[in-house]
Order: sequence, then structure tokens, then C-alpha cells
Amino acid sequence: MVDWGIPIGAGIAFGMGAIGTGMAQMKIGSAGAGTVAERPETFGLMVVLVAIPETLVILGFVVSAMIMIMLE
Amino acid sequence: MIRVDYGYMNARIRGMKGRLLNRDALERLINKPDVEGVMVELQRTSYREEIEKASVRFSGMSCIETAVRNDFTSAFRKILGHVHGEDAEKYIRILLNRWDVQNIKTILRGKNIHAPAPEIMDCLVPAGELDEVTLAELVKQPDVKSVIDLLATWRIPYAQPLTRSFKEYFERQDLPVLEYALDRFSFDHALEMVKGDAYDNQILRLMIMAEIDVTNLKTVLKLIRDRAPADEAGQYLLKGGISLDLAKLQSLVRTGSIEAAVKQLKGTPYEFLGKVPAEVFIQEKISVIEKELDKYLIKKGVSQFFKDPLSIALAVGYLWAKYNEVTNIRIIARCKTADISEKELREELLYV
Repeated sequence: MVDWGIPIGAGIAFGMGAIGTGMAQMKIGSAGAGTVAERPETFGLMVVLVAIPETLVILGFVVSAMIMIMLE
Repeated sequence: MIRVDYGYMNARIRGMKGRLLNRDALERLINKPDVEGVMVELQRTSYREEIEKASVRFSGMSCIETAVRNDFTSAFRKILGHVHGEDAEKYIRILLNRWDVQNIKTILRGKNIHAPAPEIMDCLVPAGELDEVTLAELVKQPDVKSVIDLLATWRIPYAQPLTRSFKEYFERQDLPVLEYALDRFSFDHALEMVKGDAYDNQILRLMIMAEIDVTNLKTVLKLIRDRAPADEAGQYLLKGGISLDLAKLQSLVRTGSIEAAVKQLKGTPYEFLGKVPAEVFIQEKISVIEKELDKYLIKKGVSQFFKDPLSIALAVGYLWAKYNEVTNIRIIARCKTADISEKELREELLYV
């Protein structure tokens, strides 16, 4: 009998992290696009700022991977 | 209607604000010996493109005036473009309407004293909804009546109050009658548009109410200077101010002297007028007090920048900061043309 609680938990950990990252990137991305439109020299900085919320989804991925390893 | 993405718009506005002239840049303009020097210095700023365009047709003061005016207009149009079709468009339009009213008043004043059309055109700032072509057509009209008729033909809303008050103006030959009607209409319309508790509405409403206060105070000063009867004051005062209601304003007129009226402002946001030099009250130089009121309004407008960054406050702050910058550049250029000393120039500047 498969214990569905573990894969569901892993899915939630990864999914919520991804949603959080999406929301953060939505706001940062639009503000970043506005900034780059006015001051193109800030492009490099904006790429870094947009990438920072990726840490959230990476963290979610790591947690979900650890949960899946527990399953094995 | 779509809710505006303030993140994008305000990031652009912040970028535009970053290009406004700072104190050092204004100092460099002040230190230039003549108008040509000011032009060269402006070419090192964000005004370069407009100065280059204007220098094809004009030189000296006219070139600076044209460049600065075009830059100001394009800043307004750019912000309006960002909010086109969105909720925030109505707020930007309210801010733009201020310039429409100002331009119509300038045209009416010009026509009232039979000033030449090019002279009137030079004083206009086509930053509002009435563009340069529309304004040029209005300026071409021979008299005040024709200007109002043309506005009515084009179904421009400002024709309504002007048409209603024209008979009174014609009988009394008193232009403030039309100006007051126009002010009342535009402020009432603006306040109607920003009803409600939304944060953006509150920001705009407080600014409009402060403008009503300042307009009323300027009217009170003129009424006192012209020794107008206190019971007539009511017909020239606007309702809806933030700190000064009609009863308070009428009591100011009843004092009969500018100094006494200013003393009565103690406890209101306008008590700073008490610091104006005593000779201003003795000589009744109300232009000095009017300038202090303009400075207050600009400071209040620019301070909106420090409010919620995801609201209309940034756009309001930027437009006031831009107005301040443009006014200062025009003052500097005019003072250089008239060979006015640096000390007097610094006194003339609105708010650096």
C-alpha cells in the first residue's frame, strides 16, 4: 500500500515554492521592466533581482526531494 | 477598466524622476553668465533632445521656453500613455485638467486685453487634454466671446461654466467672473471624480482640497487689496477647501488688512505666511505671499513621493516635481535675459 501522504507533501513543498516565486517575479519583473525601459544601464542588476526569488523554488525542490528520498 | 500595474508605472516614474535636475545642476545653471550658457548647460541634461529640436527654429530665450514647454508636455503625455484604459487614467486626467484650465484662463486674459496671438501662445503650456493645435485655434479667435463659442462648438466641457457666466462678465467687464466660474467647475468636477475611500482617491482629494485653499487665499488677498466689500467675497470663494471653510475665509476678508488676515491664519497649515517680511504687508505686495503659497503647494505635491509606492502618489509627486523644475529653469533663463543679479534670481526661484 502506497503512502500518498509523502508524495502529496513533496508536491505541496515544491508547488507552493513555485507559486511564491511566480508571485515575487511577477512584481519584480514588471517593476524591473519599467526601470530598464527608463534606464537601460540597470539591465544587469534587474536580471539579478528577478533571479533572486528563484531561491524559493530551489528550496522547495530540495525539501520535496528530501521527502521523496524518505519515501524510498 | 483594468487595475493599473503600479509596479511597472511607478518604476518608470522613478526612472524619470532620476533624470530631474538636482540641486547641483540648478546651481550650474544659475552660475552661467547668459542665456546661451544656460542653453549649453541644458544640453548636458535630459533636455538635450528638446533643446536641439527647438534650436532649429528658435534661439536664446525662445529656444529654452519652447524646449522646456515641449519636455513638460511630453512628460505628461508619457505618463498618460502608461495608464491608458486603466483605472488610474482618471487621476492623471484630473492632474492634466489643471493645465487646460490654466491655458483657457491665459487665452481669456489675453483676449480681454487684446494681446497679440503669438504673445498669448508663448504663455501657454499644452500639457493638458487640449493640445497645441486646439489651443492655437482658440488663440486665433478675435475676442472672449468667440473663444467661448468655439469651446462650445467643440463640446469641450469648460464651455458650460463660461457660457453661463458670460452675460455677467459682459455687463461688468470683469474677467474674474469667468475665471471663478471656470475654477469652480473644474474643482467641483475633480472632487466628484475622486469620491470614495480608496487610497488613490484620498491622495488626489487632499491635493485638490489644498489647491482650493490656496486659490481661495489668493482671492482673499486680492479682495482685501482692492478694498472689496466683505459681503461680496462669497461669490468669488470656492467651496471644498481642506483647512479654510467659507465662514473662515469671509472673516479674513472682513479684517480689511492683509497683515490682520495673515495673523488670523494661526493654527492652520498656512500660518507660515506670518514669517513674510513686514514691508510686504505695509506695501501690500501680495505677489510675495502668492509665491509662498505656490511654494507650499509644490512642497506638498512633491512630498507625495514618500507615500505608498504602489499608488498614484508617485505620479502626483513626479508631476509636481517636474512643474517645479520647469518653473525654475524658466525663472533662471528669464533672469539671465533681464540681467538680474544672482541674489535676486535665488529669491525668485520657486523651490530648489
